[in-house]
Amino acid sequence: MNNNIPVPQVETDVLAAMSRPGYAWLTGFGLAGLLFVGALALWAYQIQHGMGVAGIMHPVGWGVYIANFVFWVGIAHSGTLISAVLYIFRARFRTSFNRSAEAMTIFALMVAGLFPLIHLGRVWRFYYLFPYPNQRQLWVNFRSPLVWDVFAVSTYFMVSLVFFYVGLMPDLAIVARHRGGWAGRLYRVLSLGWSGSLREWRHYDRLYMFLAAFATPLVASVHSIVSWDFAVSIIPGWHTTIFAPYFVAGAIFSGTAMVLTLVIPMRRVLHLEHLISIDHIESIAKILLLTSLIVGFSYIVEHGMAFYGNNLFEMEQFRFRAMGHYSLLFWIMITCNAILPLLLFVQRLRRNLIFLFVLGLLVNVGMWLERFVIVVCSLARDFDPYNWGNYSPSLVEIGITVGSFGLFFAAFLVFVKTLPVLSITELKER
Amino acid sequence: MTSLVLNKAGIYTLLMITTLLIGLTEFGLSGKPGALLLTLLFWSTIAQGCIALVAVCELVNARWMASLRRELLSLYPLLLLLPLLFLLLWPQLDLYPWTKHPNLWLNKPFFMTRNLALLLAVFFAGRHLARRSMAKQPAGPAAVIYLLLFVASQSLVAFDWFMSLVWPWISTLLGAYFFTEGLYGAAAVSGLLMLLYFKQKHAENGLPVTIHLRDIGLLMFGFSVLWGGLFFAQFLLLWYGNLPEEVGFILDLVSSSPGRELAWLFPLTLFLAPFLLLLAAPVKQNRHMVAGVAGVVLAGLFIERLCLVLPTVPMHGGVLLFYNLLLFALALVILHSSVHATSQID
Amino acid sequence: MPRHLFFDTPEAFLQELRAQLAAGVPRRRLQAHLPFHLHEAEALLIGRPSRLRYFAMIGALLGFGGGFLLAMLTSLDWPIITGGKPIVSVPPFLLIGYLMTILIGSLSSFIGFLWLARLPSAKTLVTDRPFDSRFVLAIDDEDAS
Repeated sequence: MNNNIPVPQVETDVLAAMSRPGYAWLTGFGLAGLLFVGALALWAYQIQHGMGVAGIMHPVGWGVYIANFVFWVGIAHSGTLISAVLYIFRARFRTSFNRSAEAMTIFALMVAGLFPLIHLGRVWRFYYLFPYPNQRQLWVNFRSPLVWDVFAVSTYFMVSLVFFYVGLMPDLAIVARHRGGWAGRLYRVLSLGWSGSLREWRHYDRLYMFLAAFATPLVASVHSIVSWDFAVSIIPGWHTTIFAPYFVAGAIFSGTAMVLTLVIPMRRVLHLEHLISIDHIESIAKILLLTSLIVGFSYIVEHGMAFYGNNLFEMEQFRFRAMGHYSLLFWIMITCNAILPLLLFVQRLRRNLIFLFVLGLLVNVGMWLERFVIVVCSLARDFDPYNWGNYSPSLVEIGITVGSFGLFFAAFLVFVKTLPVLSITELKER
Repeated sequence: MTSLVLNKAGIYTLLMITTLLIGLTEFGLSGKPGALLLTLLFWSTIAQGCIALVAVCELVNARWMASLRRELLSLYPLLLLLPLLFLLLWPQLDLYPWTKHPNLWLNKPFFMTRNLALLLAVFFAGRHLARRSMAKQPAGPAAVIYLLLFVASQSLVAFDWFMSLVWPWISTLLGAYFFTEGLYGAAAVSGLLMLLYFKQKHAENGLPVTIHLRDIGLLMFGFSVLWGGLFFAQFLLLWYGNLPEEVGFILDLVSSSPGRELAWLFPLTLFLAPFLLLLAAPVKQNRHMVAGVAGVVLAGLFIERLCLVLPTVPMHGGVLLFYNLLLFALALVILHSSVHATSQID
Repeated sequence: MPRHLFFDTPEAFLQELRAQLAAGVPRRRLQAHLPFHLHEAEALLIGRPSRLRYFAMIGALLGFGGGFLLAMLTSLDWPIITGGKPIVSVPPFLLIGYLMTILIGSLSSFIGFLWLARLPSAKTLVTDRPFDSRFVLAIDDEDAS
C-alpha cells in the first residue's frame, strides 16, 4: 500500500498493544493456562469417580458449581450494559471500555456455560437440555426454570457474540491494513472485506442500534431468569419477588468491578493512559456505586421483610444467614458489597486507581460469597429440622472454581494480543 | 390568566385551603376512608416522581431535560401537600388490620412518625434541589440526597401505606416497583407538559425541542418495558408459588366484578398500549400522540392503585373524583404561576 | 476510471460533497468511503432510511410466535402435568417467546445487514483495496449512459 499517507495516531496507539507478547504476558498466560488445565484434570477425575468427589450432598444439592454459574453469568452482564445500554443513552465514556467489556461478556459466558455441565454429572447427556425430536418422544419441560436458563444463556451468548463481532468489523479491516502476509489476509477475511463504503456504513449504523436495542432488555432478563431458578420454588430465602432486579443489579455490580479489575492493569501495561481517561474510569466507578446502593437496598428489604411477615421459616432462614454456620461469609459479603463501596461517595477515591482496583477485587469476593450464601444457606436450613445440614466444598470443587478463573484470564490475555482492545473507529469518531 | 398567577405565599395558602377542603369532606361528608388513601397513593408517586426525574437527569446530564426542567421543578410545592394530607389519615388508621395487634414495626406512633418525617424530608430536599437547579447552580449533591430520600419514601409508601393493609401479603419488590412507577409517571407528565408548552418552547429553542419530544417518547417506551418486567417478575413468582398467603389478596381482587376487569386493564394501559404505540416512529414525533399515550399511562397508574386498595378499603366514588380534580387543578395553578413568574423575571 | 479525492476531516469532505452536488453532479456518480459513519453524508447522498428495520421487525415477530408455539406445541404433544401447572402455561411460555424474539430478531438483523451491505464482498477481498483511514470521494466523470 501507499506509504506516504500519515497513519492516524489512534491506530498506532491501539495496535501497539497487539505487539509480540513479552515475559509478563507469557507468565500470566502460562499461569492461567495451568490453572485451567488443572481444572480440566479435576473434572476428568470427577467424571471418572462420580459426583461423590464433590462436596454436594443431601440436603445441599447445589453447591459452589451453581454459585459459580450464577457468578459468571453475572460477570458477563456489565459488558452488555456498557456496550448496549450506554450506547442507547449516548454516554461518551463507553468507548474506553466497550471492547474489553464485550470480550469479557463472551469469556464469562463461556465459563458460566461450563458449570451446569460440570454439575450435571453425566455430562455426555447434556443435549437432553435442548428440545429436539427424539426416539423417546419426549420434550423438555418448558415450565421448568432450568429450561428457561438454557434458552436465556444461549440466546445471551449468541447475541453477545454477534454484537461483539459487528463492533469489530471495521477495526478488523484496520488491522488488516497494518498487517502484511497471511495474518493480514486472515484479518481481511474476518472483516468480510469491509471497505467503508457509505452503503456499508449506513446499514451498519442501523444494525448496531438494533442490536443495542435487542441486547438492552436481554441484559435485564438473563439474570432475572437465573434468579428465577431459585425464586419460583417456595424455599425460604429464595421465594421472594425482589430477586429478579436484585440479581440484575448484583450482576452489573460484580461485572463492573471485574471491568475495573481488568482495565486498570491493562491501561497501565499497554500504555493506553491517554485513551482511557480518569474521567471515564470515574464514570464506571459511579455505576459501581449506584449498583452497590441497589444491592444494599435489596439486602435491607429482604431482611426486613423476613421479620415483617408471619412466616417462621423465612425468619429462621435470615437469622441463620446472619448468625448461623456461614455468618462469617455473610458479614464479609455485607462489608464488601454494601459498606465499602459507599466510600465511592468521596470523589478523590473515585479517581484513585489503586483504590478502585482493590475495591474491584473485594467486590468480586463479596459477590461470589453472596452467590454462595444464597445458594447454600437456603438449602442447609429449609422447613424440616431433620432435613438440615451444612455443606463445605471439596478440594475438587475448589480446584475447578479456581481453574475457571484461569480459563477466563487466559482467554482475556489472548484477546488482548489478537484483537484491538479499544474500538479504533469509535475513538476516531470521538 | 394573570389573575391566577400566585406568588409563593399564595401557593402555600392554596395548599392549606386544599387540605382544609379535603379534611372537611373527609370528616364531614364521606365517612369512608378509601378515597383519601387512594388519592395519596397516586399523587405521592406522581409528585415525588416528577422531581426525582429531574434529579436523575441532573445526574446523568440528560439533554432533553433542558426543555422541561423548569416546568417539572415548579411542581415541588405539591410535595408539602403530601404530609398535610397524610396527617388527615391519622384518625383513620384503624382501617389497617395490624392496629389490633401492634408490634415493633407496625404501631400507630411509629407508623405516623416515620412516614411524616420522610415526607417532610422529601419536601425540603426537593425544594433545595429545585432552587439550586433553577438558579443554574451545580445540583449534584442535592439530587443525590433527594433521590435517596425519594427511594426510601416511596418504599414506605409501598410497604406501609399499601402492603400493611393486606398483611401478611408480601412482595419484596413492591418498593422498587413503586419508585419506578414514580419515574414512569413523571415521564408521562413530561409528555403532557410537552403538549402544553411545545409551541412556546419551539419558538424559544427551535429544532432541539422536536428531538426532546422524541426522547420523551423513547423514555416512556423504555419505562413501559421496564414496568412490564417488574410486573411480570412479581406475577410469575406469585403464580408459581401459589401459596395461600400470597394469592389470597389477589383472588379477592379478581373474584368480583370491577376488580376483575380493572386487573386486566392496568397491564394493558401501563405496558401493552404504550409499548405498541411508541414502537412506531411517527407516534414519537407527534406531540398529540405522545400526550395521548402519556394520558393512558397516567390513567393506568391510577387504575393500578385503585386495584390495590379496592378489595380492602371502602370508598366513595364521588369524593374520590372531587379530590383528584381538586389536586389536578391545584397542580395546574402551581405550574401556571411558577412558569409565568419565572418567565417574567427572565 | 473515477477520480478520487481524499480528505482528512469530515468537515472538508462534506464541504466538497455539497459543492459537487450543488454543481449538479448526480448522486449516482458519487461514491463515498468513510472511516466512520456520517449521517450528513447519508442524508446528502441517499436520503432514505435503511430497510434493515424490516428484517429486525419480521425476525422479532417470527421469534416471538415461534418460541411461544414451540413451547405450546411440544407441551401438547405429550400432555403431562408438572408442578400443578396447566399444560399450556402462558407465563413461562411467554418467556420463551420473549427470548426467541431477541435471538431471532438479532440474527435476522445481522443477516439482513449482510444482504443489504453486500458483504462478504468478494471484490474487496480479491482486489486488496484497503479500508482507508481518510474520507474518500470518488467521482465518476464519464456519464454511465
